[in-house]
Amino acid sequence: MPVVDVQPDELRRLTGHEDKSDEEFKDDLFALGLEFEGVTDDGAFQLEFGPDRLDRLSVEGVARSLRYQYGDARGVSVPNTNDPDWTFVVDDDVPDERPYVTGAVVRGVDLDDAALDSLIQLQEKLHATMGRKRAKGAIGIHDLTMLKGDVLSENASGNSITYTGIEPDGDTFVALDSNDELTPAEVLEQHDTGRKYADLVSEYDRYPAIYDEIGLFSFPPVINGRRTEVSTDSRDLLVELTGTDQWTIDRMCNIICYALAARGATIEEVEVQYETGTVAKPDFEVETKHVSHDRIETVLGVELEMDEVIDLFERSGLDANAELAEETVYEVSIPPYRVDVLHPLDLVDDVGRAYGFNELEPRYPDVGTVGQRHERSRLEDAVRTSLVGLGFEDLLNFHMISEEENYERMDVEVGSDVPASEASGSSPEQRSGGVLGGGEPASITEPYSEDYTMLRTWVLPSLTMVLENNTHRAYPQDLAEIGHVAHRDDDENTRVAEARHVAAVLARHDATYEDAKARLAALCRDFDAELETPVTEHPSFIDGRTAAVVIDGEEVGVVGELHPKVIVDHDLELPVAAFEFDLSALA
Amino acid sequence: MRLPESQVAVLNAASATDERTIAQLAEATDQKPETVTGAVFDLRDEGLVSVTETAEESVELTDEGVEYADEGLPEVRLYRAALDVGDGDAVPMGQVIGASSLGGPQVDIALSNFARKGYGHIDSGELAPDADADPDADEEAAALAALDAGESVDADVLDQLESRKLVVRHERTIRAVTLTDEGVTALMEGVEAAETVDRLTPEMLTSGEWEDVEFTEYNVEADAPEARGGKKHILRQTADRVKDVLTGMGFAEMEGPHADADFWINDCLFMPQDHPARTHWDRFALDVPPMEDIPEDLIDNVRDAHLNGVGDDGDGYHSPWSEDFARAIALRGHTTSLSMRYLSGHEVGELEPPQRYFSVEKVYRNDTLDPTHLLEFYQIEGWVMAEDLSVRDLMGTFEEFYSHFGITDIQFKPHYNPYTEPSFELFGRHPETGELIEIGNSGMFREEVLRPLGVECDVMAWGLALERLLMLMYGFDDIRDVHGTLCDLDLLRETEVLK
Repeated sequence: MPVVDVQPDELRRLTGHEDKSDEEFKDDLFALGLEFEGVTDDGAFQLEFGPDRLDRLSVEGVARSLRYQYGDARGVSVPNTNDPDWTFVVDDDVPDERPYVTGAVVRGVDLDDAALDSLIQLQEKLHATMGRKRAKGAIGIHDLTMLKGDVLSENASGNSITYTGIEPDGDTFVALDSNDELTPAEVLEQHDTGRKYADLVSEYDRYPAIYDEIGLFSFPPVINGRRTEVSTDSRDLLVELTGTDQWTIDRMCNIICYALAARGATIEEVEVQYETGTVAKPDFEVETKHVSHDRIETVLGVELEMDEVIDLFERSGLDANAELAEETVYEVSIPPYRVDVLHPLDLVDDVGRAYGFNELEPRYPDVGTVGQRHERSRLEDAVRTSLVGLGFEDLLNFHMISEEENYERMDVEVGSDVPASEASGSSPEQRSGGVLGGGEPASITEPYSEDYTMLRTWVLPSLTMVLENNTHRAYPQDLAEIGHVAHRDDDENTRVAEARHVAAVLARHDATYEDAKARLAALCRDFDAELETPVTEHPSFIDGRTAAVVIDGEEVGVVGELHPKVIVDHDLELPVAAFEFDLSALA
Repeated sequence: MRLPESQVAVLNAASATDERTIAQLAEATDQKPETVTGAVFDLRDEGLVSVTETAEESVELTDEGVEYADEGLPEVRLYRAALDVGDGDAVPMGQVIGASSLGGPQVDIALSNFARKGYGHIDSGELAPDADADPDADEEAAALAALDAGESVDADVLDQLESRKLVVRHERTIRAVTLTDEGVTALMEGVEAAETVDRLTPEMLTSGEWEDVEFTEYNVEADAPEARGGKKHILRQTADRVKDVLTGMGFAEMEGPHADADFWINDCLFMPQDHPARTHWDRFALDVPPMEDIPEDLIDNVRDAHLNGVGDDGDGYHSPWSEDFARAIALRGHTTSLSMRYLSGHEVGELEPPQRYFSVEKVYRNDTLDPTHLLEFYQIEGWVMAEDLSVRDLMGTFEEFYSHFGITDIQFKPHYNPYTEPSFELFGRHPETGELIEIGNSGMFREEVLRPLGVECDVMAWGLALERLLMLMYGFDDIRDVHGTLCDLDLLRETEVLK
């Protein structure tokens, strides 16, 4: 969730509510959905909010929303724009991967320290959110007085800059926070910011570059040139944005222009000259969507007058015209800084917020349905109840595990769940003769840590780890878990075969095979399941004291005494009897 | 009448006319005095005897007193030895002491009392016995002998003996027992002895012997050895409670895969593919081939929603949409993937409103592992499908649900989710601390979610971490103590069960 730092004094100035206390602001902001998270070292509120209203990523946007909330502003407001003086020429050499550009000229800004900080923060926050860490859109803001436009031959009065692409070492410039003339490729290697964003362009044949008559002054989306750096002395700015999507960078540009206009600056259009034609930017077109009165009433669950609805729209910074036909439909105008309105229902949400959702009276929906547990969940619960009745402590472990814990420390080999004689056979479901837990791992591509690299193929490794971590606790330790297991199986639609296993360990000074089998038999009796225990081998267990668990004629697991090497490897000093089998066998 | 053997004996030995002391009864019944005392009190409680208590002083010879009673007082022995050795004349002290066979501290005792009691003089190391003295008339010796024989003595001489530490005096209560009229009646009607036993045995039960026995009393306040049974995991107990509440509210449980295609996990939910939560560092992608079998019409519908939106006025995301990404398989980051499968009609057939479904199952998030965050945790997920649902229905449903966990005063903070609109973060009043805490995330599924799945009515949904509910209810500081292989068995064993 985005967090924006907002100076309360700036809020007072920009809303015109000089007398509001910090506490009053906090309450008003909470009502807008901006949650107070704390205060920065220099006294700014840290406000967290959902990533929909990205127009609130700066104090200017937050103040605008408050002014609507207070009723100081109503309806859609669009800044006046002056006619273009500057042209952005997009030439043939522009990288195919990043073909779009937009921007504006902003005149008469009054950048004190607070305003400059806010502008820089807004730029960074937009990069992080809509700009997808500059991959989708990147903003460059320049001191206009430091730029010398190319004179366009057709139009002697205009200036132009050129968005193009150059060879990685095709030119040099001095980047921000640097004193050295570097090529773009050198910036990616030597400059801190360059290294940070190198991945964005390093695969490009040509690097994005913006020129004025003097030369290269911006290397989007990586870094600006030092020549055009903005300071508190800057009065006129040139804003340029490049990216992979025109709509996205246009909206980012609008949010910046609205923020600067809120501080009294004048927005001047620029012309963007693509090969396909010339367009004027910024794009302040007001879009409309339609929503019926009926839908608003249904969603909110209250009856509303038409005037009331229109008032609520206007208090949300929208305009609405009622079109009276068979049913009342509003044509709603949406200001160009809004990036979150994809569907008319988003406008209903705005009405609800303005109305105050907490004003609504909750009611229990009057529809009848039948509740029930899932069959599998009921079975699992019944088996767990039986295990607890047999004296087992019910455990709950992670499904993610390391290969070392799942296989190596249990002395089990990967892929050993299918016996050699059946490896090429027909049914991978049949584990007959294979090693329980020996399935191929469903591995995690980028694990959180080396402790969690795959889904466990069986449960006993988890229980043995619990024993290992609790040697200081009283014995006997009789532990059981009914848990999720999985192994890779390309025949499954999800490529992963998932199951639930029932597993138990008895760690006590006199634990034997008989202890495990007795409890297993008791469990099977509870479920009227016929248990047979033919001799088998399993690398985690002692030969001659290991049996296959055969329930109702199907081999579904293993029971026996854990092998001393497994016990010792887990730092245990007493025998452990154990069993594990597939839960579905008791269904 | 049946009474324990000890009581029967006491009853028989007691008299209605003569008081009998405990000591007398003990002797008469051949039982220990403490046994008799216990029997007497029980009989008194039954009204069969009456007991009078008198305080009595008893005198007991000390070890030293016993010795002197046997061998004579040291001063007497000294006197007799002096007479023997000197035949009435003064004799050197050493000679007398040697003849008297006195030793150690007895010598000093003998010498000091010798003069005090007028047995003679001691002068310049010589001992001169007084021939007129009569050791046989020594009243201390006589008193000692009398006490040794169980007789009483004069109080003055007793004080002297006490000052010489030859006797100790005890205050004690003498209980005297007489039969009451009821006791006499009981005896006349016949009293039989009942047996007392330590353990009730199967034989006693089958033979009926239990009817005739008295059970010895245990110290019922003493600690018993620790007993331990199995117990359902506390998180399972919490999940059970949630399932009980939800089934009671008409919700049916969903079930489905933990490893699933991103299509079901995210694309159906109208999560743009370049959403930060879908980047590689937030999800657990699995190293397996992509999912092949996804209904083609569904893919087309979902792609169209992402690119172009839903409805006449709908807009899509300005983000690329790749079918390859949609087919890639990962661990589900929420159980909403199950909701999508059910709503699509591909899990249990086409659903007609109204419906209520829920799940309390595991989800996986590549988040930071810390005391309140796990890489895998249980998500409570629920949804209601009906015609014309309003946010008031959503609010009423949650108020009902949370009230079962003592969480009241539910607040709805407007919120943003890509898949719901309107959306609310749910806050509630903590049952213990009273603070306002976040308890879930909710909303009405967007049309961009529902229409591609073929759902034409409204669906409201919510989600909440089960661990969060558990921590709220139990106040655990570190969820890792409970969930996972680092769990503390003692904590699990000692945790109070959920009522």
